[in-house]
Amino acid sequence: MLQKLLLLSIIFTVFAYGVEEQNIKPVLDKKITKVLKILKNPSLTMKQKEKKSIAIMDPIFSYPTMAKISLGKKWKTLSKKQKRTFTKVFEHKMKYAYIDKLKLYHDQKVITKQPKKIKKNRITLTTKIIGNNETYKIVNSFFKKKKTNQWYIYDVKLAGVSIIQTYRKQFAAFLKTKSFKALLSSLKK
Amino acid sequence: MRRKILLFVFVLIFLESCSTKKVVAPTLTIDTNTSQISDIETDEFSDEYEDEKKEAPLDPLRNYNEVMTSFNDSFFIYVLDPVSRFYANIFHHAIRTSLANVIHNLQFPMRFSNNLLQAKFKNTTEETERFLLNTTLGIGGLFDPASYYLNIQAHNEDFGQTLGFYGVGAGFHVVLPLLGPSNVRDFLGITMDGYISPLINIRGLENYKIPHNILESTGIYGLQIINKNSLNLGAYETLKKDAMDLYPFLRDFYEQKRLSDIQE
Repeated sequence: MLQKLLLLSIIFTVFAYGVEEQNIKPVLDKKITKVLKILKNPSLTMKQKEKKSIAIMDPIFSYPTMAKISLGKKWKTLSKKQKRTFTKVFEHKMKYAYIDKLKLYHDQKVITKQPKKIKKNRITLTTKIIGNNETYKIVNSFFKKKKTNQWYIYDVKLAGVSIIQTYRKQFAAFLKTKSFKALLSSLKK
Repeated sequence: MRRKILLFVFVLIFLESCSTKKVVAPTLTIDTNTSQISDIETDEFSDEYEDEKKEAPLDPLRNYNEVMTSFNDSFFIYVLDPVSRFYANIFHHAIRTSLANVIHNLQFPMRFSNNLLQAKFKNTTEETERFLLNTTLGIGGLFDPASYYLNIQAHNEDFGQTLGFYGVGAGFHVVLPLLGPSNVRDFLGITMDGYISPLINIRGLENYKIPHNILESTGIYGLQIINKNSLNLGAYETLKKDAMDLYPFLRDFYEQKRLSDIQE
């Protein structure tokens, strides 16, 4: 019995990423508020700010899914090792891209809307950043992982432009003339 | 019993390693990815995204557009950005915000008519409320009490969006000198909006407008751009970080953004 409990607790710890459906709004709200607070903190260096912010946002992002969508049909043709390497490189890129964007708006008012259920396993959550004479919209797209019933972000739309779509298009154009290896080294730059 | 103790120790070590992992999370999440790669759902996202093999949109001006994009990019880096930073150092943030407010308030006729043309009556009413409140209580538009106290937000609409709203296609992409990415539809839109805007007087014929001629119009427009950029320093650089090849990136970004603006 005790062993089973312990085993369960191990499993729980390992899979404690993602977020439950009913918690999407409060969790994201809390995370964004936390990140904006960190970005505003004058006693931290930029490196520390980035590191801390990324650690907060990380658990709800599914980087492998993002990496896979961004490559489109090319993904299937890759070996397991190539997939892993690509995911790692793309993950790094995504993390900084997201935080970079939040950095721009750190001193503005933020309103999180109610989540919208688009499909059984898709939810979008809109965050509005009230700027000067303009409202910026950030739409976080979540999907539900079948195995764990947890929700993860797989795309972010800024001002109506999907960050994953943008990369998908660019990767496809790049791979038309250049190799996958060249893509990796270009991303590492 | 010994087995249980061993297991317990193992769990403790495991939990310990988990908690230390969290602190340095950004650098070593690759372990979790390895297991995740195998259980990503197969191909269920493809219907949400454009087929990446789809032919690129018609782009007859591509060569010109590429040259103009790098000209605009250099202009931004070597002229507009340094000037904006210098300007931001001289004028306090509050002053620049107020100037942006005044300019925004003066462009009310454009937003009003385009919201009306798209039969967005609630937005039209709210724009009118904003104009009346901000012109009076906001002292000629210097302040924005409408959004600050009453939470009435602006509804930015231009004639390009109005045309798009009625199904007019974008046409091919055109990069305008200094103004940046545009397309045939939006270029027509800018021209039409110019007739309505009290800040643009190209022919010098409309006496009720603020500038009297094209030179004054250009001056006001230049100030407007510098002021706007001084309030958004770093935005263009951040955007550019996502680009592998600048021209197609900016083109697709622009077209996608306009499409989303129109759909709203």
